[in-house]
Amino acid sequence: MIIYNPHNQILIQERIKQAEHILQQIPAKYCFITGSFLYKEKYKDIDIFIISRTKKEIKINNPKVNITILDFNDLHSIFYHSLSKSCIAKNILPQKPLKVTLADYWHVINEAIPTILNQKDKYHKDIRFLILYTQYFNTKEVLDSFQLTNKIASFKDYHSILAYIKKQVPKIISRHAKPSYTKRFFYTQAAYYKEYQEYEAQNLLYELTHEITRGLAHGQS
Amino acid sequence: MVNPEQFKKDIEQMLSQEYKVEFLGTNFDHIVNLLTDIKVQKIYNWLNEVIQHKFQPIVISSPKPYKEWTVNELLTFRYPFSIGTTEYRILFVKIKNSVYIEFHLGDHKYYDKVRKDLNLK
Repeated sequence: MIIYNPHNQILIQERIKQAEHILQQIPAKYCFITGSFLYKEKYKDIDIFIISRTKKEIKINNPKVNITILDFNDLHSIFYHSLSKSCIAKNILPQKPLKVTLADYWHVINEAIPTILNQKDKYHKDIRFLILYTQYFNTKEVLDSFQLTNKIASFKDYHSILAYIKKQVPKIISRHAKPSYTKRFFYTQAAYYKEYQEYEAQNLLYELTHEITRGLAHGQS
Repeated sequence: MVNPEQFKKDIEQMLSQEYKVEFLGTNFDHIVNLLTDIKVQKIYNWLNEVIQHKFQPIVISSPKPYKEWTVNELLTFRYPFSIGTTEYRILFVKIKNSVYIEFHLGDHKYYDKVRKDLNLK
């Protein structure tokens, strides 16, 4: 069993044993447990990830267990890089280079904004990707699950998340995208959002694209 | 326990459109049977918000085909809820400036399949 714990987070000893016991029951070489089960007295789920090509359903006799099967292609994702950073694994986990693009990031923002506006202050589960990507583009560091939870907890309400998006996203895009790409991509997005301005989310997305392209016009790229 | 046929009829009545919305999902009827009256009422309240444009849609600018439409013609409204420890999601799909076409109800596996078709993250 391998314990990945780069920040020396205090793990509950009893849970380490339980995790090992659960992982031994899984008929796969690469599997791991991450999340609050490892470090919080009170936890909701036991999040298990299995890297496998199998389509077969794997069942563990524990109602709190949540199993997610990851494909080997998923190993390039920021999601896997974050999850596998702090976890208990059955074996040394395979690593593949991280692949993140600005188009992926925008895709995340495009869904996060309507979701945040709908969920209001029940956003905690829905902004994980948004924070992961934003922090990555800002610092080049992929947050692990402890850091991510702490970062999410630092927001006082959904308004502060929207303010964070409005502040960070234009700066990130202008730093990372070529002006020609920004122009082409965001003018297209803006025209598209304009058709949905009866909705607050698309209105906000439109303003964000406008802010990004305005930065371009003022030579911030 | 909620009758799945009544559930579908109630939704059709709320939409009051000529186009017949499709109810889709593996175990659709079974999941409806698990809903309490309170949960059903919450779904109806949410639907009313969708119809009144008070709930925010997800729109994707992709020209990828989706059945007889393209993804960028669609508005998707997502409603997550739990029964016990199992998480479910409703995806309600509308054509831009037109009718509601699909009402998906399923667990995360079903959701994963549909979201890929609709180009959702």
